[in-house]
Amino acid sequence: MTRLRLFAAAVVVAMICWPPQWYPLSVRLKLTQWFGAASYRALPPSTETDLEPAQPFCPPDPEAWRQQHIIEKVDISASAACVADNPFAVAAFVRGTNNISQETLLRSGLSADAITKGRDLDGDGDPDEIHIRLEVAELNGGSGVVPGPVTRYELAPGIRPGIWVFAPKLVGMSVENFESNIARPGLRLPSPVIRIEQGDRVHITLENSHYMPHTLHLHGADHAFVDASGEGNDGVPISSEIPILPGQARTYELTPRQAGTMFYHCHVQPHVHVMMGLQGLFVIEQNRPDNTLQTLNIGAGLVRVPSRASREHYDREYDLHYQDFDKQLGQRIQQDNDPRLITRSMHRDYDITDASMDYFTLNGRSFPYTFRESLLVGKEGEVIKLRVVNGGAKGIALHTHGHKFSITHRDGIALPESSRSFQDVAWLATSQRLDLALTLNNDGLHSYGPGIWPFHDHQYQGITNDGIGPGGNISAIVYDQYLDGGGWPATNGVSWQQYFSEAYYRKEIPVWESYAPGLFSDTGKDWLLLFRLLGLSVALAAVVALAVPGLLSGRSK
Amino acid sequence: MLSGQAQDHASHSRPTVNQNSHSSHSSHSMVVEADGAVMNQNFSQLPRGCSQISGDHTFTVSAGRSYAKTEPGMIFGMSQYEFAVNPCSRVTITFVNEDDVRHQWMVHGLPKYLYPAGMFHIEASGGRTKTGTFIAPSENRSYLVHCDLAQHMEKGMRGQLKVGTGSGDIWGVSGISDSFYRADYLPDYTLELVIALFLGSFGVTLLLKNTAWK
Repeated sequence: MTRLRLFAAAVVVAMICWPPQWYPLSVRLKLTQWFGAASYRALPPSTETDLEPAQPFCPPDPEAWRQQHIIEKVDISASAACVADNPFAVAAFVRGTNNISQETLLRSGLSADAITKGRDLDGDGDPDEIHIRLEVAELNGGSGVVPGPVTRYELAPGIRPGIWVFAPKLVGMSVENFESNIARPGLRLPSPVIRIEQGDRVHITLENSHYMPHTLHLHGADHAFVDASGEGNDGVPISSEIPILPGQARTYELTPRQAGTMFYHCHVQPHVHVMMGLQGLFVIEQNRPDNTLQTLNIGAGLVRVPSRASREHYDREYDLHYQDFDKQLGQRIQQDNDPRLITRSMHRDYDITDASMDYFTLNGRSFPYTFRESLLVGKEGEVIKLRVVNGGAKGIALHTHGHKFSITHRDGIALPESSRSFQDVAWLATSQRLDLALTLNNDGLHSYGPGIWPFHDHQYQGITNDGIGPGGNISAIVYDQYLDGGGWPATNGVSWQQYFSEAYYRKEIPVWESYAPGLFSDTGKDWLLLFRLLGLSVALAAVVALAVPGLLSGRSK
Repeated sequence: MLSGQAQDHASHSRPTVNQNSHSSHSSHSMVVEADGAVMNQNFSQLPRGCSQISGDHTFTVSAGRSYAKTEPGMIFGMSQYEFAVNPCSRVTITFVNEDDVRHQWMVHGLPKYLYPAGMFHIEASGGRTKTGTFIAPSENRSYLVHCDLAQHMEKGMRGQLKVGTGSGDIWGVSGISDSFYRADYLPDYTLELVIALFLGSFGVTLLLKNTAWK
């Protein structure tokens, strides 16, 4: 009898603990008829959000790299956005590292033979023998001795996927200092833009300083299948050549007859190596007299020493390199240190046919860092040339706010005037290049007037960092009156603070917290319901124990 | 241009220029030449605690992929990974790069009052030889020697400079000490094997226990 009473008590307790909303609708309605609605219980309160201290939006520029400089007689234009390239490196890229003072060379951070320039073959006042040396560098790699990632490079706050890049041949360490493990200036995503002149006799030596085989393939640029000595010159492992093993170097040759915006990339296991970042813009400028070019543009973006042909029609020129990254690929170089394990993981275990892309970059950064260095800054009335490449696995739908641009060249080839129109979305397939003319004329067609006008991929994954927006390749066209002295845009809207914290992109900050605090916050927890469920579990256990004959009546009987 | 030691030996008399890198480095004394660079070279300035130069050590170190071939899982290597010197001695390293890419022989953690950023650094271009000299501090201590091209240390170019008796081996020196982080290298089905062995042992124990009861 005791047992029956206990059983009944346990059932009653279980029924009371059972959450009311779990009872069938008919039961709840019947109970409501009998007893009326349950008494008021406030919903859990909003939780406080701890905003971590933001990083500086616009880091200081202690050596005035943003200003206009004249170095080695090279007139280097000012770079208005907040983070600018090292002007000494720009001067070295124009003159050649073989034609500058030891001081400029040291301040450029380049190796003595990084870019060498030789004779003027056509007598038009600029050098036509160009020798470029590139290395291969791993950013955010793993390490067997220190917690990674090493040679750190951030796409956006806290986002450090494993990346490979072609890099200019530098001298000295690969990090700012040994303790920080942060990649030094010049060692970054994307691989540098290479800029040569039509008809130049160009040699590009790839010094494979990385631990895997690589090659160089000149996509769309006029190059012979074999070089002068009969060696493969196309960079393709089967049809052209055996890839360059670690520690080896190979020189590729070209004398391009056709100008245009082209592309270069590694051709070893391209579905992995190109996606890891071994790709860059390859620009062949039209031949003009006295046209000494800025052979590399580190990090793409503003061309601080534009070509003669560009200056004939345009006030400024920007290189725009779009990429996307699968975090599940990039993390594979961080998980192991043994190249045999990494090679297996990347080339046999990883399956790009099952992949989805997580990070979307413009000139090697994702929002909000794009606003530090990839703004398109101009003045009203100017005409700006954009050379755009989509190096990502997915197409992009490039959209400009406030402007309609025209496409002047596709894949490096000029479009006939008659086929040019104005548009505000342009589709770029994977590896496609477009040259765009952006006219800052406030006429309601080319431009709606001065302002801060975003431009971005209009496919929505492209404006996120691993699904958190705003992120991805969002940047902006900024009229100079909207830029403060440090190069930061005078925006009118939401504070930048939360976007410059790692927590936001770790998905820890409610997205509207900064301007509607508490309204859309994370909620507190219903502790009462939790206690009911704990009671329910005990009561149900008792019910089962009492219901099964013999379970409680063991030896004590 | 194939360098030759005569040119390298002369290089300490060349004028040096302060390198003002962007990232708030202290200034380093460095000369960049076609065959490479030497940073913070020191022939005669004594570290604290040294009354005189205690002697000379010279090493010829070769570097390149061929030296990693005997080390499984390594890509780049050096002909030796440990450099034992006396306190206050003058150390001359002739660094022979047998690859076609840059390599470095770099010491970290030296006294900053003598070696800006605590570094002494030799860099040889592909196929080149570069020589540099520095003076070891007075304390017994082990210093990291490595190549700072991205991933070269991780993939084999990691050694140690032992001054006097040193201060123990540092982690991850090829052929001398183990990696701090190390993959498991377990055969397939290890987990299944361990679980099967655990369950089997459990069953056998029960069986034996029951048998004993009866």
